[in-house]
Amino acid sequence: MTTHFISAEIAPQESAIKTCQAIEAELQKQGEPLRWAITHADAEKLHVEAVVTTVAEPITTP
Amino acid sequence: MRPPYTVVLIVPTGIGAAIGGYAGDALPVARAIAQVADRLITHPNVLNGAQLYWPLSNTFYVEGYGLDQFAAHRWGLRPVHQNRIGLVLDQGIESELRLRQLQAADAVRATLGLTLTDYIVTDAPLGVQLQTGASGATWGTIQNPDSLLRAAEQLIQRAKAEAIAVVARFPDDPGSEALQAYRHGHGVDPLAGAEAVISHLVVRHFAIPCAHAPALPPLPLDPVLSPKAAAEELGYTFLPSVLAGLSRAPQFVQHPAPGDIWSQEVNALIAPANACGSSALLHLSQSPALIITVNDNQTRMQASPEAMGIEAIQVESYLEALGVLVAHQAGIDIAALSPKLKPLQPLSQNSD
Repeated sequence: MTTHFISAEIAPQESAIKTCQAIEAELQKQGEPLRWAITHADAEKLHVEAVVTTVAEPITTP
Repeated sequence: MRPPYTVVLIVPTGIGAAIGGYAGDALPVARAIAQVADRLITHPNVLNGAQLYWPLSNTFYVEGYGLDQFAAHRWGLRPVHQNRIGLVLDQGIESELRLRQLQAADAVRATLGLTLTDYIVTDAPLGVQLQTGASGATWGTIQNPDSLLRAAEQLIQRAKAEAIAVVARFPDDPGSEALQAYRHGHGVDPLAGAEAVISHLVVRHFAIPCAHAPALPPLPLDPVLSPKAAAEELGYTFLPSVLAGLSRAPQFVQHPAPGDIWSQEVNALIAPANACGSSALLHLSQSPALIITVNDNQTRMQASPEAMGIEAIQVESYLEALGVLVAHQAGIDIAALSPKLKPLQPLSQNSD
């Protein structure tokens, strides 16, 4: 497992739950979300900082 | 008989909160709320003051990842009488500093009567690395998270630990501007974000209470040390408050039973006014809980309740927030406490 500090942006959603879901979906493109926060919110974008984890693929002999 | 009045207090760590961004300096706020509420749920950053802490019998010490799961209604909280605490020490801690941690642990066993299992040293240095985001919030990563999880698993399986205390070696940089600013009460805690990542890893993997204390050599005496940072410069470790908190931290459960606490029982949540972008707050904003935001607890975040689409009562201070809690618990409309009260209006056709 490795840990990574990343940032992301998502569009504002119609509800707080949908916001959480959209953030988790966006972060999952880069790993399993461990901790995140919306650091800056305006009418057009939500800026998110996060730490995600990834699991290394097992090394296989060709 | 009315149900217990339950408050969640959030002061996220590592965001430079004017109150709570230093060495347990939100603990007086927690103490005041615990006096008003029947139950207070808050996280280690609020209750930990390194050597200093305060036992609050109606307060639940809930790690941040666990608090997020609780707020999302995935986990409940099961009160306990005591937890067996397993201590994980980072292999990267040098021997003298490691001995200081063990002596702190022995001190809480002898003087406070807490139950600790035998301890474990990780099989590799954890390799904590610190980062600061563009927002100014501090974050961190660790190079060997698997080593941390292996150690915690050993304590849980073999020593029957019910809570995990982690002590990780943090990078030294005693002359850094960030540390100076923090010690003088106007910076962002440079360690906080990484500390949260460490405990989140354990809680996410094992669904067990966890908290972290950094291992650092003592700092040189600073004659202009801020009172807010002073608690972290009293001794050789940050461990006592962590062990005190974990000793009665609630267990996490996924199926309700009598006596457990679930998110629908939360009556109010209090958070800094510009730090409304956390998972826990977003989830609880969709529940009947009253959201109260405090303006004078400024942070580096720029996520107001309006920007997040959250309906909140905005107050200037925690003193005012306490007043809102008292009125709310008593079933009093706070509008009735103002000099002027508007007459009732007919329901608008545009109302939701």
